[in-house]
Amino acid sequence: MRYPIEPKAWIATLFALLVAAPASAYWTPGDDDKKSSEDAEDAEADEEDEEEQERWFAAVGGDVHDGSGGVLRGATLLAKNGKIEEIGYDLYIPEDTETLDVSGYQIWPGLVSAASSGLFGGSSALEDTVDPFNRSMVLALGSGITSAVQSNQAGKLKRGEIEGIVMTPKVFTPFSYKNSDPRTKTGLEKKLAEASAYRREYMQWEEDVKKDKDLKAPSKKGIDGSTLEVLAGTTWAKFAADSRTDLLGIARLAQRYGFRPVIEGCTEGWTVADELGRAGAFAIMTPRGRKTKSERLVRDGGSSIENAAILHGAGVQIAIVPATTSISLNGIVGRDMMHLPVEAGFAIRGGLPEQAALDAITRVPARLMRVEHRVGSLEVGKDCDLIITDGDVLHYQTFVQWAVVEGKVVYNKEEELFFAHIRPRPEAAFAPEAKLDAGETLEPDDQEASSEEEESGEDDSDDGDDDGDDDER
Amino acid sequence: MNLTLSLLALIALAPSALPARSSGGLLALRVDRAETIANGTMEHAVILIEDGKIVMIGEDLPIDRGIPVIDLPAGWIVLPGLVNCYSRAGMDGKGPSDSKPELLASSVLYPASEAYPEVIEAGITTLGQYPPGNGIPGQAVAVRPQGDTPESMIVADNVYLKVILRATKASKKRISAGFKKLDEYLEKEKKNREKWDAAQEKKKKKKKSSKKKKDDDDDDKKDDDDKKDEDEDKKDDDEKDSPDVYEPIELKPEVKAFKDLRDGSLDALVSISKSADYLHFLDALGEEEIGWSLRIPLTREIDIFLVADKIGEDGRRVVVEPTLSLHPGTMRARNIAAELSRAGAKLVLVPRSDSLKSHKAWLRHTGEIVAAGLDRETALRAMTLEPAELMGVEDRIGSLEEGKDANLLIVNGDPFEPGTSIEGVMLEGEFVFGEVNQ
Repeated sequence: MRYPIEPKAWIATLFALLVAAPASAYWTPGDDDKKSSEDAEDAEADEEDEEEQERWFAAVGGDVHDGSGGVLRGATLLAKNGKIEEIGYDLYIPEDTETLDVSGYQIWPGLVSAASSGLFGGSSALEDTVDPFNRSMVLALGSGITSAVQSNQAGKLKRGEIEGIVMTPKVFTPFSYKNSDPRTKTGLEKKLAEASAYRREYMQWEEDVKKDKDLKAPSKKGIDGSTLEVLAGTTWAKFAADSRTDLLGIARLAQRYGFRPVIEGCTEGWTVADELGRAGAFAIMTPRGRKTKSERLVRDGGSSIENAAILHGAGVQIAIVPATTSISLNGIVGRDMMHLPVEAGFAIRGGLPEQAALDAITRVPARLMRVEHRVGSLEVGKDCDLIITDGDVLHYQTFVQWAVVEGKVVYNKEEELFFAHIRPRPEAAFAPEAKLDAGETLEPDDQEASSEEEESGEDDSDDGDDDGDDDER
Repeated sequence: MNLTLSLLALIALAPSALPARSSGGLLALRVDRAETIANGTMEHAVILIEDGKIVMIGEDLPIDRGIPVIDLPAGWIVLPGLVNCYSRAGMDGKGPSDSKPELLASSVLYPASEAYPEVIEAGITTLGQYPPGNGIPGQAVAVRPQGDTPESMIVADNVYLKVILRATKASKKRISAGFKKLDEYLEKEKKNREKWDAAQEKKKKKKKSSKKKKDDDDDDKKDDDDKKDEDEDKKDDDEKDSPDVYEPIELKPEVKAFKDLRDGSLDALVSISKSADYLHFLDALGEEEIGWSLRIPLTREIDIFLVADKIGEDGRRVVVEPTLSLHPGTMRARNIAAELSRAGAKLVLVPRSDSLKSHKAWLRHTGEIVAAGLDRETALRAMTLEPAELMGVEDRIGSLEEGKDANLLIVNGDPFEPGTSIEGVMLEGEFVFGEVNQ
């Protein structure tokens, strides 16, 4: 397209052509051309800015257990700005990606705990009291936990940061229902009845107001707000109950008023598993908990190693927490938050399927925290919260080697004081000598890792060959 | 050469200017070495003092006859008087535990306290005294540790606002609430001003329209307008006559403190106890841009090295004790003061505690962390000019420079060596401690 050139502009152009040397020989007059080239430059600059903001993380060569049963052997997990971008093989890894060579190790979703105390340092509202440097947080990350409920808030163990700690500001509405204390029963039933009646009235009003615009909405006065939240399904009703009688009562109450109860304890749940399953209950339980049967009862009672398995079989969703929900460095080893996966592993002993045991410390608590779309399993689009272990996450011998939260390495076993001396990582694994280009992976020096890669049927020239000498340049 | 000339000229002028104070006038001090802080170490220094001020300092300056000269023994060193910007020596009393930014430490001074002579013995010639209490207890004052009345002690008031910040909702809210109140005040004030402006405008109009009225009575349209005007005028009269001089809404002192913070005329000294507090402080501050320094007690186990880089990036001042701390959970010593300084923070040192013993051991303690890797110059500066700058009194205090107060500390050797002792302390031209022969 050509533009008419005004005389003045033409003279100026000529002048410019004369003054400027051959470099401007191809320069054509016209403001628009100039503008468009400037635009292009701007766009480029913008792109550069965007790229600067992008934060990439890649864990290369590990066996990716996505948390829902799938395994990709020797695969790469790539995350952008804290979200999982891609999981697979032969991925293009952008420059400046923080790359972790994890060949020979396993990648699991970061564990989630449905109850905790002290992991975030503070004791009340997380966003104002969190101490993201406190020892409990480091130890919890070292135990594989990347998200937890504390002070009724769902939080993420972001080490060294206080932004974005809280994922869900209110998780549970605590309800009390005890057979031994009739007031709690009548009180709760009254609250539920009122709230339920209000909801019915409100729904009726919503219909009626379409016909008659002047109708007033039903009064909320005297209705318990938290109970309404429970009935509306925005928070979970949480009960602490262990005995068969209480559990039955709760299950029936939940069915009558149509909400899903979350039952902490649930020790005798196995005796009324069907009822609880029908009520759509969740159980936050401690498989190693002990309770003796009440002598006065003629029915089944007390704790059972099969509790989790039976409840799971009846359709109850199981979340598992240890007996002590804080990091405790006193008393008997193995009962505190550092042993969350061990606790889940114990349920397997009683017959719980392995997948259900893993779900009990990942997906189910994530569901309870209402952040299942972000944490609990490794899927494209979810938060890059993962742990890299030297074995099956539910095995008692397994150590967390690295913990990653939102694409940042927040725990490295070799760099922390706590477990570095126990079965240290082979040096090559944590201090690779060779500088890698983006997209390349280290030679698998581990026999096991390379054989696994062969199994996966990968025809990757970089990773697959066993002789390895040609690749060294 | 120039120096010599001007010195001679000054000396020639001096006696005529101050005939009455023959002995209190000029005094020269000759010493092997002076740590000027502002201009490094000076060998064979001559310091000329008059009327409590340093009038000249230079190498091997010739001294005119008739001026009393003090020749300090070989190996002695002159430093600026030390500045402890964070002390409660000589004060007592309980403070508030919530937000009282308007309270002044200057109003609770006890000039007769026995602590002050003791402080002088430790070589300290300027103290920053802060008000007691938790939360935001008030504003600190810079004092000279000598004087009969509080007024005669004060070097500068409102030198910093003390803020104690912990990772709690209440603590963080004190800061945000303070600025919120200020915003509310400014909003009110703006409306008030607008109202006043509008009233002034109307007054002018009124005068004009009343004139116009007489001029064009016949125009109907104008008539209508005038009616409106009249109505409005009536309203105005009903409200009240607006004053000719604008009267701003009263600024409450507690709001003024935050206004001063935002204007930059007052800086905050924020006391934190762990790394998390620092992050929460930044969070509480939000977009607010104010001058602030950090007070970080190193005498307890502390994890502040975790955010040393971040603090260093900001280039703020950090007020710490000269002590080595143990890495939490280990027996590994860390020189956190040096780490902070290396990271880019401006180091301000204070004695390990407010006791006389700590004050006297201040130089020795600093020597310990210098031996453990802290830069020597930085350490000297951290006890003199840097705290003076923190309190905004660097034009008078903190270094050996012309025009500054003659606050001198005379030691008989390297100040950071354990064997060195304080031989004399000069406060504004007068020896207040020691046996230095005049």
